[in-house]
Amino acid sequence: MTATPLLELKQLGVRYGNIWAVRQLNLSIASGECVALLGSNGAGKSSTLRAISRLLPAAEGQILWANKCLSSFRTESTVRLGISHCPEGRRVLAKQTVLANLELGAWLRRNKKAIKIDLDYCYQLFPRLAERRLQLAGSLSGGEQQMLAIARALMAKPNLLLLDEPSLGLAPLLVDELMQCLAKLNKDGLTMLLVEQNVYAALAIAQRGYVLEAGELVLEGTAQELRKNSNLRRSYLGDE
Amino acid sequence: MIDISLFVLMLLGALLALAVYLPLRAGQLSLATPGFYTIGGTVAALLSTQLPGLGGSDAVYPLTSLLLEMIVAIAVAGLLAFLIGKPVLKLRGIYLAIATIALVEILRVVLLSSPWFGAAVGIFAIPQPFEGPEGYLIAYGLLLAIVAWACARLERQPLGMAMAAIRDDELAARCMGVSTDQVKLIAFVLSAIVAAAAGVLAAHYFNSWNARQANFDASITTLAFVVLGGSRTWLGPVIGGLVLTALPELLRPIGDLRLIVFGLVILLGPIFIPQGLIKSKQS
Repeated sequence: MTATPLLELKQLGVRYGNIWAVRQLNLSIASGECVALLGSNGAGKSSTLRAISRLLPAAEGQILWANKCLSSFRTESTVRLGISHCPEGRRVLAKQTVLANLELGAWLRRNKKAIKIDLDYCYQLFPRLAERRLQLAGSLSGGEQQMLAIARALMAKPNLLLLDEPSLGLAPLLVDELMQCLAKLNKDGLTMLLVEQNVYAALAIAQRGYVLEAGELVLEGTAQELRKNSNLRRSYLGDE
Repeated sequence: MIDISLFVLMLLGALLALAVYLPLRAGQLSLATPGFYTIGGTVAALLSTQLPGLGGSDAVYPLTSLLLEMIVAIAVAGLLAFLIGKPVLKLRGIYLAIATIALVEILRVVLLSSPWFGAAVGIFAIPQPFEGPEGYLIAYGLLLAIVAWACARLERQPLGMAMAAIRDDELAARCMGVSTDQVKLIAFVLSAIVAAAAGVLAAHYFNSWNARQANFDASITTLAFVVLGGSRTWLGPVIGGLVLTALPELLRPIGDLRLIVFGLVILLGPIFIPQGLIKSKQS
């Protein structure tokens, strides 16, 4: 890649007190790419996402957005820049309607017409949300809540979507359906950083991937290379 | 026959309940309302008794002076809430509640021990802008109408939506770009303003004012208004404030038992109607 990456992490370190969650992570995402960040529980994937969206401070290293350093930014400013973080565990506002959740996603935006267009786009992408737009989000099924969480993140009109384990707790059929939606989003031009434990599902839609283990980068490559990698197959795909 | 002054107190209760409701809508359990209420009353009492120029020439205290007091009280309470809110709102949940109780207690002790504010005796002979309780009823009615209308509007504005989002899930709200610190601070300052405005009228209505208005009991009573009435929409606190202010008075015929009944209502309310009397409109 010769062009400037959209997002670049340089020697990123994140820690909770004395415990390092992520160390010396180098990662880059070009515009239009879908990049998977893989690893087991506690590998530092979520911490990396939280550092990018400034929910956590970076203890060392740099986060560069189109060559601009994000270290002094607050979370709301990163949303304004176009980084939308869809947090782990869905975190929809259970006591509010689907529509209210989606409207909250567009909280920083004031152009009502553009918001309406994006709302229609979300409803088209996830027709079940359109059917249930006046239901309380807490009454949706797990899969629908995940769709709502993704749609809500899309309502911020992001340039980069950070997805934290969207497949968590979903039935395999639903995972497929969700991944197809994500693939479609990526095809429509949205850049994505996809954190997953479900390596199969993630590598099916990502072009490249990074593998973290105990906070350190152990492997990176194209999706094809990673799928063939014997270490990864042994660790995550159950090969002998 | 129920005295008209009870209605005045009911409206005051509803106003204080709205002051508790505002930060609670943003998920912040602040018990500082009686503190800012006392600040409002103290400002009004001091200005109207210490500045002869405000009294005018008539026997009746001019309404313009009352309005002026209100502006000063709102400015003082708002500024104080802004300065205190910045550090205090970093605390979460029950810790914020404890800190705000401490705030009310500190204020009470400061007022009690300083002769400028009337010390333990209080400030007396606060001039009357109205001839009878009817005037106060109208004034409180007007103030409540304005505040309730503003709260109802707020709920449909982005700010009100952000407040509800913080209450439901602060991390999700931050991910959506809500400046949670800022929104919480705004809610806290608005709450202080409402309480202070209610305090200005109260000082005149009660004719005298002392530091004992700010106490822990008042914090809990005003919180009970919101707990019983419901904290999802503005109507809940209003109903809670009206009902719970009236209840002890209406129960007066049964003598000392009334406090037991009052206590039972507060105790059983959250068990049987956890969302409060007024639920949000969505199914």
